[in-house]
Amino acid sequence: MIRAVWQLRLGRICIVVLTLIALLGILGPMLAPYGPNDQDVAVMLQGPSAAHWLGTDDLGRDVLSRLLAGSTLSLVAALEAVGIGLVLGVLPGLLSMVFGRIFEWVSLRVMDALITLPFMVFAVAMTALLGNGLHQAMFAVGLLVAPAFYRITRAAAMTVIGSSFVEAARLTGLSELAVIRRHVWPKVAPAIAVTTASMLGTGLVVVSSLTFLGIGIVPPEPTWGGMMATDLNFLYQKPWGPLVPAALIIITVAALSGLADALRDATGQSGRSLISARRAKQARAKAARNAGGPVAPAGRPDDRSTVDA
Amino acid sequence: MKRLARSRTLAVGAVLTLVSTIGLAGCSSDSGSGGGSGGEGGTSTLRWAFSLPTSWDPVTSSTGNDINTLSLVYASLTQLDEQGTAGPGLAESWEYNADGTEVTFTLRPNLKFSDGTALDAEAVRTSLLRGKTQDNSLLKDQLSTIKDVQAPDATTVVVQLQAPDYQVPLLLAGKTGAIVSPKAIEENVSGLPTAPVGAGPFKFESFIPESQAIMVANPEYWDAADISIDRLELTVAPDPATIVTAVQSGAIDVATLQPRLIDQAKSAGLGVDISPTLTVNQVDVNSTLPGVDDPTVVEALKYAVDRQQLVDVITAGQGKVTYQPFPPDYIAYDPELDDRFAYDPEKARALLAEAGHGPDDPLDLTITAAAYNQQQAELVQAQLQVVGVNSTIKIVPPGSSTWQQEVYLGRNAQFALDGTVGRESPVQNLTVVYGAQGLMNTSKVATPEFLAALDKVRQTPLDDPNYQTVLHEAVALGVEQNPSFSTFNTPRVTVRSEKVSELPPFISQYRWEGVTVQP
Repeated sequence: MIRAVWQLRLGRICIVVLTLIALLGILGPMLAPYGPNDQDVAVMLQGPSAAHWLGTDDLGRDVLSRLLAGSTLSLVAALEAVGIGLVLGVLPGLLSMVFGRIFEWVSLRVMDALITLPFMVFAVAMTALLGNGLHQAMFAVGLLVAPAFYRITRAAAMTVIGSSFVEAARLTGLSELAVIRRHVWPKVAPAIAVTTASMLGTGLVVVSSLTFLGIGIVPPEPTWGGMMATDLNFLYQKPWGPLVPAALIIITVAALSGLADALRDATGQSGRSLISARRAKQARAKAARNAGGPVAPAGRPDDRSTVDA
Repeated sequence: MKRLARSRTLAVGAVLTLVSTIGLAGCSSDSGSGGGSGGEGGTSTLRWAFSLPTSWDPVTSSTGNDINTLSLVYASLTQLDEQGTAGPGLAESWEYNADGTEVTFTLRPNLKFSDGTALDAEAVRTSLLRGKTQDNSLLKDQLSTIKDVQAPDATTVVVQLQAPDYQVPLLLAGKTGAIVSPKAIEENVSGLPTAPVGAGPFKFESFIPESQAIMVANPEYWDAADISIDRLELTVAPDPATIVTAVQSGAIDVATLQPRLIDQAKSAGLGVDISPTLTVNQVDVNSTLPGVDDPTVVEALKYAVDRQQLVDVITAGQGKVTYQPFPPDYIAYDPELDDRFAYDPEKARALLAEAGHGPDDPLDLTITAAAYNQQQAELVQAQLQVVGVNSTIKIVPPGSSTWQQEVYLGRNAQFALDGTVGRESPVQNLTVVYGAQGLMNTSKVATPEFLAALDKVRQTPLDDPNYQTVLHEAVALGVEQNPSFSTFNTPRVTVRSEKVSELPPFISQYRWEGVTVQP
């Protein structure tokens, strides 16, 4: 799947951007020139300089170091929320196809109920109930993204579960779980991958919103949303301050959205057509170069003659 | 075409993300005052962005800061002048008996409440006794010095005291002495928190909880001639970062400004008034909680806080370091206490080691702070780290009573970053900060020695040559003995539009006498 995504320019760009951001998250604390919480009030609210590439904040802390440390927290929080959503959505989504009508009805109603809850309000309520921490907030967010995974999984599985090759597999004596693992899961996985990428973007925005409001973080823990909130208080002294964490949020979410698009294209019918057309064009170009003649025009991307089986 | 569609999808995604991120920024500020409705009620309208009181009934108001807004609709028996000395209010004069157990106030003639009810001695008696006896009264402690109130004639109020107490004229200058209409008390006492009826400079027109209160000038106010504002719209203050813009745009006319924004306001051509206040920031230490129950640890904490750094960062250098709950230049301020517990990290470390907290067994502490105080909390956390104290910051969410519930009533905070706006009487302030039942004395401990010193102050006439000395003795005992400690005094920084004249520098509160607003 990754190889197919890499075939698309959008996919390559997004993978490169996300890899860089992931590296920031993983290596950030090691790359940071200062401790994220090291204060030096003698240099507070300063602009970029050789000592502080992105300037300093209201307590003289190095903005770059805090951004790097904040990358880890923000990304891990988004991953945590989506991870919880995956487990709580995909599993019941698959099981609802095999565990009979009662399980199906109950799980559908639970998911319907969860869909009605607003992200922010529910997360705030959960942190009030369980304590102000990122894990508590992310559990709440994960719970609310679960219905999306549930419905996508279920919809994708339904198109496969009644097909003749699944029936045939059952007739050979395969258990339901084995049927799901061998025949249903490979068809469902691409849809889940697309949803995961998309939900990671949503998760990051929600995480940033919550931490912007001071929910889920314990000061002076740096997060992208929290840094934006602090910088907004000092707009007069440092008008460009909020732009740096905002840009990181924008780039990351845009890359995740782009990756979701690329995944959809690469795993869907039209995407496979596009890739096949591109391969054909490359082959023709190569042949033309070898023959020394002009390059033949490419077929339409959705030309059915190039569609993979 | 596909590529174009994909690019378009990405572009739309990026734009949506940008919009959503900008939306985050929008979350930071309240909706602002909304621009107001013009001057329908008269020729001059003042839009003041501040905070709404916890209750519009002085008897159930739960913070000292409420005096700034309660005094819009209520007049008090006496009134503090700019320096904090008691002067005439509803009462034009007063006189103590020989032993200081009775004080007779003479009311101005022909006073009326904004509802037209006569404001006479009987009304004063009803109002003061309600504060002393009503079940949910939060003035009971302060009025406990009063034994009874008599009204021998329409303009004479005799206040009989439990013991000699020369602080009463000061005590009755704020919300403790705010007089409420007896008609409103009789007809709808439970409605007073949202529909006040007093005899102050303004009378209530409408009120939207957590949003705004609209008032118009009260022609019955005893000093109505000094009030030039026809209509006052009190709104909840917007986000501090947007205040200058809000004043500039005309959405509000006057607001409290964070000192770091003084330059911004001045460069925008707005008026900035900086005046002294009784406000003193303090750390409430609850010595009944584990971790800070050792007096040596508490003493170490007092030396561990770098007050000058707090002044420099939090008040942009506009504040003053103080080690007592009074500002320099105030009568209760004792210069002898200058540099008491001055920042000394070495001494703090030594005291902590003496208490058994070395590098191997550091003290763990929770710093409790209101949401608006996060910067101070992070500074103090770093200062404590210097002396080897590990701390976690707990932010109390905004709300009209969340701080009171967590710190004052719940008494859950080991180390709370608090502050007093001061009280009209220095003894009253000492009682709130260090008294056995003092709101800010979260340990609820006070030595007999300190209580005796307070009594001695009460028994000393304000014009007695020894008054200041006696007062300083009580202050010194409180500072030395109480686990809580003061950090710095902050000035009142106010930004105003060019159409509003300079505000008078009353040390105890905002007042509007003499303030003019161009229509």
